Amino acid sequence: MRYLLLFLLPFTAILLQSTVFSFYSIKGTLPDLVLVFVVFFALINGARGGTIYGFLCGLFEDLYLGRFIGVNALSKALTAYLVGHFQDRVFKENILVALVTVMLGTIINSLVVFFLALFTHDIFNVDMSIAVTVLYQCIYNTVLALPLYLWYYNSSYKGVLRPTEER
Amino acid sequence: MKILRNKYLWMAVIAVLLSFLLMHLSSPERGEISIAENLIRDIFTPLQRGVNELRHDWGGIASILNNKEVLSQQIQALQKENQELKIENQVLRESQEELKRLRSLLDFQSDSLDSYALLPARVISRSPNNWYRYLLINKGSKQGIKKGMPVISPDGLVGQVGSVSKESAQVNLITDREVAVGAILQESRETNGIIEGRGDNNLLRMINIPYYSPVEKNNRVISSGLSVIYPRGIDIGVVKNISREPGGLLLSADIEPVVNFDKLEEVLIITSFKPAEAVQGAEGSEN
Repeated sequence: MRYLLLFLLPFTAILLQSTVFSFYSIKGTLPDLVLVFVVFFALINGARGGTIYGFLCGLFEDLYLGRFIGVNALSKALTAYLVGHFQDRVFKENILVALVTVMLGTIINSLVVFFLALFTHDIFNVDMSIAVTVLYQCIYNTVLALPLYLWYYNSSYKGVLRPTEER
Repeated sequence: MKILRNKYLWMAVIAVLLSFLLMHLSSPERGEISIAENLIRDIFTPLQRGVNELRHDWGGIASILNNKEVLSQQIQALQKENQELKIENQVLRESQEELKRLRSLLDFQSDSLDSYALLPARVISRSPNNWYRYLLINKGSKQGIKKGMPVISPDGLVGQVGSVSKESAQVNLITDREVAVGAILQESRETNGIIEGRGDNNLLRMINIPYYSPVEKNNRVISSGLSVIYPRGIDIGVVKNISREPGGLLLSADIEPVVNFDKLEEVLIITSFKPAEAVQGAEGSEN
């Protein structure tokens, strides 16, 4: 059940982002809910599990997008690793910590995607609008993270996302 | 040497190398998408259609609840517009007949829009990500869609089919950061430039305009047909702002696209467009 839900979260995120959210975008900017879930997972489960989860979620998203497969896998794995690296030094039960982590995670993830895009794409038109997009996405992700983290945190310790005993 | 025995390090190194290999292999230039991508897209397509239907139904309910007064106002405005369009249509039909006669006199080969075979398709989803700008449409290889077909809407140029699965196809928009389109000004005909996507659905950029060009605000920009991907003479946008590039020899312009990409629900695919073959190899890299 836990694994099913861990798969369904990014799946639903992509489904909603590709349909409903395009009508609720902030100046054309969409949130990245897959990243939000990856950051939550890494924050609660640590660097090793987080990196693997980030890589798999990113790979799934890449396969859906169908070009330059691996860009999101690498960026989300790296973001999850960094978040997981510091997770035992912060108060996870504090919602502000989670929100700041999501914000920083969005910036790190965008930086990695940006440099990978420069490195791999034949044509890639760069200008200041990228910075604006990243800023809007930071805000959007953080706002959405507020209710989601309350549920995710509870679920991870008391609910369906709690790790089973044998792990 | 202890670090070399860490198996997680090796796993990470292999994962990174594998990703770079995949990135290289899955660039947009490849012909077909893999089985895994096909499968994932075919799983998503019916779900996205369902979500879209729900949204449509909701929109229907909202419009019923809409004020009657607003609706009657809208009807009046539309009737007025309809009349104006009818008159304009009459004038245009006259000029088209004239054009046909003159063309036949000159033995001029026509490649206007009405000579293409068009296939309508419905937009089922958009890019879930800010880096790419594309649409997913509900026609795929089953209906004869092939990679590289130009896509338009009644307003103007939309983009090009980037990849095809059985039931759906990805249309790369001209606002995507990886797309460039050859363009000219409709009035002056001599000003050549390249339209670049900026990842923003409300703004395009035209670059490489020679400094002596008679480009002005509110000029219409159309596709030039020089980039063999798109047919000639399709509306792209209107010039909003002109600026000089640092070198001083070239101008660039902000273009407001005529197509509202955020609200696009139906598109037309040109299935019969055959670019001139002589230049196909030379321009193949232009996307």
